[in-house]
Amino acid sequence: MSIPVNAPASARIVFEDVSKFYGEILGVNRVNLSIPPGITSLVGPNGSGKTTLMNLMTGLVRPSRGRVEVLGYQTNDPEHLFAILGYSTQFDAFPKGLTGFQFIYSYLRLSGRDAQTAEQMAWRVIERVNLVDAAKRNIAGYSKGMRQRIRLAQALAHDPKVLVLDEPLNGLDPLARSEMIALFRAAAAQGCYVIISSHILHEVDVISDQVILLSNGYVVAEGQIATVRGEIQEHPTQILVRCTRPRELAAKMLEDAHTIEVTIHKDEKGVLLKTRDADGFYLALNQLATNGIDVESIAPADDDVLSVYEYLIGNEEGVR
Amino acid sequence: MTTAMTRGTTKIWWAQIQAVIRLEMKKTFFAKRGLWIYLVAALPVFLFMAYAVATSGRQHQSASVARRGEKMLTYQDLMAVKPGMTREEVVAILGKPPVAFHWGENRPLGPGVTANVLREDYHYSDGQNDLFVGLADGKVESINIQNGDNQGQDSIMFAGVFQFFFLRLAIFFGCLGIFMNLFRGEILDRSLHFYFLAPIRREVLMVGKFLAGLLATCAIFVTSELLQTVAFLWHFSPSAREVYLYHNHGLEHAAIYVGVTILACVGYGAFFLVAGMLFRNPILPAAAILIWEAINPFLPGILKQFSVIYYLKSLCPVEIPSPPGTPPILALLISNTDPVSAPVAVVGIVVVALIALYASSLQVRRMEINYTTE
Repeated sequence: MSIPVNAPASARIVFEDVSKFYGEILGVNRVNLSIPPGITSLVGPNGSGKTTLMNLMTGLVRPSRGRVEVLGYQTNDPEHLFAILGYSTQFDAFPKGLTGFQFIYSYLRLSGRDAQTAEQMAWRVIERVNLVDAAKRNIAGYSKGMRQRIRLAQALAHDPKVLVLDEPLNGLDPLARSEMIALFRAAAAQGCYVIISSHILHEVDVISDQVILLSNGYVVAEGQIATVRGEIQEHPTQILVRCTRPRELAAKMLEDAHTIEVTIHKDEKGVLLKTRDADGFYLALNQLATNGIDVESIAPADDDVLSVYEYLIGNEEGVR
Repeated sequence: MTTAMTRGTTKIWWAQIQAVIRLEMKKTFFAKRGLWIYLVAALPVFLFMAYAVATSGRQHQSASVARRGEKMLTYQDLMAVKPGMTREEVVAILGKPPVAFHWGENRPLGPGVTANVLREDYHYSDGQNDLFVGLADGKVESINIQNGDNQGQDSIMFAGVFQFFFLRLAIFFGCLGIFMNLFRGEILDRSLHFYFLAPIRREVLMVGKFLAGLLATCAIFVTSELLQTVAFLWHFSPSAREVYLYHNHGLEHAAIYVGVTILACVGYGAFFLVAGMLFRNPILPAAAILIWEAINPFLPGILKQFSVIYYLKSLCPVEIPSPPGTPPILALLISNTDPVSAPVAVVGIVVVALIALYASSLQVRRMEINYTTE
C-alpha cells in the first residue's frame, strides 16, 4: 500500500528503512514512508511508535538505522529543519517562570527574529489559539487545555510548512477542538504537511487525508482510508443501501455468490450487506433498480478509520 | 558562501546567542536552587568583614590608649624599650602607662621555696601599633609589639583565602552548580526540548548557554572578589590604603585577582559544561575534577597542562610562603614549583577551555530528547 505520490522527492517527508531502538526496546522498525502534503494521521495504540516516529521526523531522536528527510532537509540540521517545521510535543514542561507570551516570544527570538517582528508574530499566533486573555499569565498556572494551546501556538508561531502535532486535541473542550481542526484544515488547504497523532479515531476519520496505522513499532498500513479499506481482502465490504423494498432487495442479493450476509435495517427502510465483490454488487444493484426497487442511497459502511483499525490491529488497549 | 551571506548568518547566530543568554539569565539569577552559590561566593566577604571589624575594634582601642598617654609616642619610642630595663627607665621613655595592671605572683625558686613577685603589665600605643610590656619586681621581663597595619601579612592572608578557598572551592563548586545545570538541569526539568525545537544550530545553543553561564558566574564571583577587596581594605587607615593601592601594587593585584576569577570561570565552566552533558550524576565528575585539580602538583609536566589550577596558580600575584617546618607534601601544595609566564597561563586556560567546548559541541549534536531514561 502506498500513498499516491505526485510531488518530487524533496517535497515529501521520507522515511527510508528507519528503525529506532531504545537500548533493547523497539521504538519503530523498518519504516518506509513517503508523506505528501495534507493531513496525515498516525494511528495506533499506546506504545505503537507514534511519538517515536514524530521525534524521528523532528530530529529529537536519531534513527538507529535508516534515513529521515523532511522536504529535503536532514533531521540533524535543526537550523534549517525548524525554519520550515513546527512541532507540538506531548512533553508538558515549559521553561520556568515564563508567561504564555514570553514563551512564544522567546521561541521566535531564538529563531533569530528581531524584537518587533517576534512580538507581532507572537500576538498573532496567540490570537489564533484564543489565548490573548491568558497570555500575560505564567504558564505554570495554565489549565491542561491552555497548555495544549500554547504548545500549538509555539508550533504555529513561525508559519511552518510542516506541522507535527502529537495528540494536539488532548485536553481541549469541544469548541476548541473544532477550532483547532478548522485550523489544521486551513493549513492543509494551503499546502502544508500536517502530521497528527491521535487516539480519537472518529476525529482522525473526519480530518485526515491519509492515515498511517502503527502497531508494535511497525507500519501496518498507510494511505487514503478508502484505499486502505479496499485492500483488506479478508474482511468483506459492508454496504448500506437505503431503498423502498428492502426484503425484496435482500432476497435478490442473497442469490449472488459473493454476498455473505444481508441484514434488514431496523427501520425497515434499508439493507446492510456484506460482500466480497463490491464492484459486482454495484453492477447488480443497477439492474435491480431498473426492476422497480427505488434505491435512495448507497454508502460503504466500513471504510472509516475505526473499521480499518479493527480489521488490521484489533481492539487493542488505549484506542477509543 | 559569499561574504554577505556569511555576515548574515553570523548576525543571526549572534541574535540567537543573545536570545539564549536572556532566557538563561532569567532562569539562573535568583533561582532558588542556586542560592547556595551566592552563599559560597559571599563567605570570604563575610570573613574579611569580620576581620575588618575585629581589626577596627583593636585600632580604636589603640587610638584610645594613645590619647590617654602622657606623651605622643612614635613607633621608634615603642621600639626603644628593651628587656631588663627598670620601671623608671620605661616611664622616662614612654611616660606613665595609660593602661596598667599589677598583681602579686608566687614564683617557685626551688624545691619547696617560693617568692612573692610584683607583676605589672603596661600597655602603650602610638595610635596604630601597641606595645605590651611585662615587668617583674620593677624590671622589664617581656615585650610584645602588635603592628596595626601589617600590609604584607594581610596580603598573604588575602592570597591564601583566594587560592585555597575562593579559587579551589567557591568558584569550582559555583561553576559546577551553574554550568552543569545548563543542559542537565533542563533534562531533569524535561524542558530541554524547547531549545531543540527552535531553528538554532546546537553548537550556537551551546555557545549561548556557555556565555550565559559565564556571565552569571563572573557577575557573582567578580562581585564577590571586589567586595572582598573592599572588606579587606576597610580597616586600613586612608593613608595606609593609599600606600597599599598605589605604591604597593594593591590596585594591580586587585585587577589581577579579578582577571584570575574570570579565567577560573572560563576554565571550570567549560569543564563542567561538557561534564553536564556526558554524566547524569554530577557528583562523580565533580569529584574526579576536584581530585585532578588537587593532585596537579604531583602530576608529570604534560598532564599538568590539562588542568585549570595549574595556570591559575601561576597568575596569582602573591606567592604564599610555606612556613618553616611544613611537611614537604603540604609545601608542594602551597608553593608553585613549576610556574608558567602570564601569557602562557592565559593562553593555556583558553586552549583547555576551547578543547572542552569542542567536546561539548560534539556531544550536543548527538543529544536526544528521551526524558524517560533520565
